[in-house]
Amino acid sequence: MDSIYDSLVEIVGSEHVSTQPEELYIYSFDLGTTEPHRPDYAVAPRTTGEIQQIVRLANREKVPVVPLGGGLSLAGLAVPLKGGIALDLKRMDTIIEVNERARYAVVECGVSQGQLTSYLERRHPRLMHSEPGAPPQATIAGNVAIHGQGDLAQPYGFNSDMVNGLEVVLPTGEVCRFGSCSISPYWYTQHPLPDVGLFLGWAGTTGIITRVSIKLFPCKEILGAGQFVVEDEELIPELVHRITHTEMAHDLVAFSQAIPPFSSGLHHLTISLSADSEKELDFKMELIFDDTLGEYIRRGDGGFLGFTRGQQRPQVSKTSDWRKGGGFEYVGSIMPVETYPECYRRGREISERHDIPYTVLGRVIGMSHAMMFSWTYAFNRADPETVRQAREALHESDDLVLELGGTIWKPGVYGQKLVMERMDPNTLNLMKKVKQLLDPNGIMNPGNWEVGR
Amino acid sequence: MTLADYKYADMIHRCFRCGYCKFPVNWMDVNSCPAYARFRMETYSCGGRLWLTRAWLSDEIEWTEHLAQILYTCTACKNCEEKCPLSFNVDILNMIVAAKAEMVERGLVPSAVKEFLENIERHGNPYGTARARRGEWTEGSEIEQYQGQEFLYYVGCVGSYDTRAQETARTLGRVLTRSGVSFGVLGSEENCDGNEVNTLGEEALFEMLAEDNVRKFKELGVTRVVALSPHSYNAMKNEYPRFDGTFTSFHYTQLLRDLIIGEKLDVSGGFSASVTYHDPCFLGRWNGEYEAPRRVLRSIPGVELVEMEKNRAGALCCGGGGGNFYTDFLGGSESSPARTRVREASATGASVLAVACPNCMTMLEDAVKAEGLEDSLAVKDVAEIVAAACGTA
Amino acid sequence: MDVVVCVKRVPDASGMDALVIDASRKDIERRTLVAKINDWDEYALEAAAQLKEKAGVSLTAVTVGPDEWDDVLRRALAMGADRAIRVDEDMLAADCHAVSTVLAALVRTLPHDLVLFGAQSEDFGSGQLGVMVAEMLGIPHAALVVSLEVGEGSVRVDRELEAGALESYAIELPALLTIQTGVNRPRYISVGGIRRAMKKDLQIMSVSELGLTAEMLAPQAVLERLETPPRGKEAELISGPPEETAERLVGILRNAGIL
Repeated sequence: MDSIYDSLVEIVGSEHVSTQPEELYIYSFDLGTTEPHRPDYAVAPRTTGEIQQIVRLANREKVPVVPLGGGLSLAGLAVPLKGGIALDLKRMDTIIEVNERARYAVVECGVSQGQLTSYLERRHPRLMHSEPGAPPQATIAGNVAIHGQGDLAQPYGFNSDMVNGLEVVLPTGEVCRFGSCSISPYWYTQHPLPDVGLFLGWAGTTGIITRVSIKLFPCKEILGAGQFVVEDEELIPELVHRITHTEMAHDLVAFSQAIPPFSSGLHHLTISLSADSEKELDFKMELIFDDTLGEYIRRGDGGFLGFTRGQQRPQVSKTSDWRKGGGFEYVGSIMPVETYPECYRRGREISERHDIPYTVLGRVIGMSHAMMFSWTYAFNRADPETVRQAREALHESDDLVLELGGTIWKPGVYGQKLVMERMDPNTLNLMKKVKQLLDPNGIMNPGNWEVGR
Repeated sequence: MTLADYKYADMIHRCFRCGYCKFPVNWMDVNSCPAYARFRMETYSCGGRLWLTRAWLSDEIEWTEHLAQILYTCTACKNCEEKCPLSFNVDILNMIVAAKAEMVERGLVPSAVKEFLENIERHGNPYGTARARRGEWTEGSEIEQYQGQEFLYYVGCVGSYDTRAQETARTLGRVLTRSGVSFGVLGSEENCDGNEVNTLGEEALFEMLAEDNVRKFKELGVTRVVALSPHSYNAMKNEYPRFDGTFTSFHYTQLLRDLIIGEKLDVSGGFSASVTYHDPCFLGRWNGEYEAPRRVLRSIPGVELVEMEKNRAGALCCGGGGGNFYTDFLGGSESSPARTRVREASATGASVLAVACPNCMTMLEDAVKAEGLEDSLAVKDVAEIVAAACGTA
Repeated sequence: MDVVVCVKRVPDASGMDALVIDASRKDIERRTLVAKINDWDEYALEAAAQLKEKAGVSLTAVTVGPDEWDDVLRRALAMGADRAIRVDEDMLAADCHAVSTVLAALVRTLPHDLVLFGAQSEDFGSGQLGVMVAEMLGIPHAALVVSLEVGEGSVRVDRELEAGALESYAIELPALLTIQTGVNRPRYISVGGIRRAMKKDLQIMSVSELGLTAEMLAPQAVLERLETPPRGKEAELISGPPEETAERLVGILRNAGIL
């Protein structure tokens, strides 16, 4: 152990390595219900070169490496399940480049969502990126590594679809560039081969992303959202389908929650619009709220709660304090939009059975191609019983996703097993080959996506 | 004390470690918790400190020097309270101070903190310099002893003993004299205001100091206090009333503002420079005073006031609070908050970094030297700029 | 196990640039100085307090001095001492032999397996007290102890020699140790802790209660005079740009045969 510590100190400097109990304690936790697992070292590198050296050392000594961005996966994906090196990437926080014309930003792996939002607002106000609902400490790289989505999901898709290129340190220590950046100074598109897909959605088990180029989108003068509410959950898929057809919104979220009590059983659609002029805004609002939703309003099936100008970015979430308990975790899934009613009904039932006020949400991806549907379970960190109930509810929700024909987004170990059990065996076998090829010593975030090693 | 006895047992678990507390008001980076900026390990963020406190009080982890150091790197800057969106945010600092108080009671503070506190108890200042020398800064000036004048000019420990801050103390004295303000100082009779002692968790020592000061002020018939340091201002305005302190407290920038508006202070002599103003935590986030110093600076002809991107409630702490101007847990690196702040000031293109606190003065002036910016950036107290403009520099 | 710690109250000289010899020329001007516990004794007390916490020993703190000296005993009580005893006698002008006689007489009346002293005092710094008391008590001692470990009926110590060399001993109890600084990290004693210690018992004794007479305390060494050392030459201040000052400094050091 000592010689590994000495080597790490040589690589990053003694101030950026710790084996002290305090650091090991903090870095053993995910903020959700995952049980803590202690790392042996907490390390905070500053450069790609340092990461390479750390990875090579890890291979020599057969020590696991667990990359950590904002630590907000809430599925335990950065918990050192087998100990080893907790690699805190947040010191690599430089925004390398913003290319206005080609609308992309190249950032180091530690750049947080909030930092990028703020930077664009101040320096490039006509550009924005798709910001996930996580607290702004979440990183751009971490979000695409877990195949995330953000507030430009409809119409632009998953955040991991917005990646133009990556710089990655392989588990064997080589640095690779994927995308146009591998042959050109520009990071504007994904091709040529091989595919960035080797690292997106793999939750850090195939390598460490050190740089990412993310697509940026037009940011208009007026940002706001209209709220539409219905009582009948069966209407949601149809409404989503019709609203997406207008191609006017840039974010479409359906949610329902038990608190406040008056909203229980109601389904809200938050329809985000942007415009550079009142004319544009009026046009979009007319197409959506008059032409599309008008009939529902007239029939009494739905109500328009008004359009609010201004969008809080970064978004500020108070979910963790709903039970004055400092904790929550959710099962995220990618579902067909038509499953919304069943997801809601079954999710509500699971919550109520576990004594947790229900909270469900569906964010539409692309042109209603799918939705990210989440079941959120708040718990009280000081009351282990509520943690246990939340964990049970989460596992039941994982089961539910697959029962309804969906797929689990960023599953924790429990959900990973369920997915792998159902996966096409040839695909599973390919996963195994890929992992063994990239990570022969099995050091990269082990314990996750273990395909029958 | 176990977790059950801890005053904030019902809320310390509510921290989610979501990380809002590291950001400034404008979200531009994660370096606005001074300790986190310095060390960039999760343990040093506010959330880390709260989780570790809870773990320590629940016996999940043991006390170590490292744990004590982590706790005492908190400079009490209140950026975390400013940014935490949850309803217990008003008590975040109270939770940290209560944890420090527990360490104090068990005697488990870092050596530098022990020295700091012992020096204050024995000598009335953290440096350990004799009480008898506290009034030496007035030598050669026209500043008089307090004998019932309208204002007690309260200087504080840093202003009384630190050579650079002493210059500021004298300069402010000259400005007040020039403005015809009736004031006096306590000199070697002055005792520490106790603000840092309070944020370090030594409650009983703070009480001793506050009671002693209140009694002394009463005996002398003090009704109005003007403080050089926002730390003193904060203690006297917010804490001394519960010790029956019935006088009114001002920070000197508030008094200067009123004197300029009331035309008792003539700054028409001007001061030609581009100036960027650094908001001290104990004047800004702690007491909501962002405008008085700016009003003063803007009224001086020739001053071109430029703002750093992180200003007002988003200002980055200089790293001197919580006793750190003495214990120096946050120094020794280019990622120290003081050096980071100086680079932010330099980036505005200003030639003068204006401060309104002697702690900020010492921290930032040292940082300017460490950054090698002595030739392009001068650190000046607002009083010094005013003095130049009214011809009493 | 019974542990006795002897502590002294000394002036805090850190606040003054220069001490001033008083009119009698046998003492310094103390009126303007704050008093505190002797630095070395703080380490001895901390060692004793740690023993109490780990092994549950019975701890008594003692001193010889006038009533202002109660405050160092309060500190000991705040650190966990079970008992505190002050022999009420101002012995600042007395010699080490006299003070040792009083302390030895006191310690003899107490159960004592381990007696701890600081290695020396900050003011007169003779370093004799602990050693003399050990001889008077007829028990073995080790001076300048930098580490100690108590076992069954014995104590293992390391003594500091020169140039970092250490000497190790195993000593049978009862024994006396004089403690060097750096042996531990003395804890901070909060004002609240001292306040609470005010409620604990502090026993006062007189010299006669210990069966001591004036003859027994007659000085064997008499302080004639206290002087400040003669002022040396003024220091030379070298100023200028770094390249020049460095060159000058190198020249000076070469000429002095240092480089």
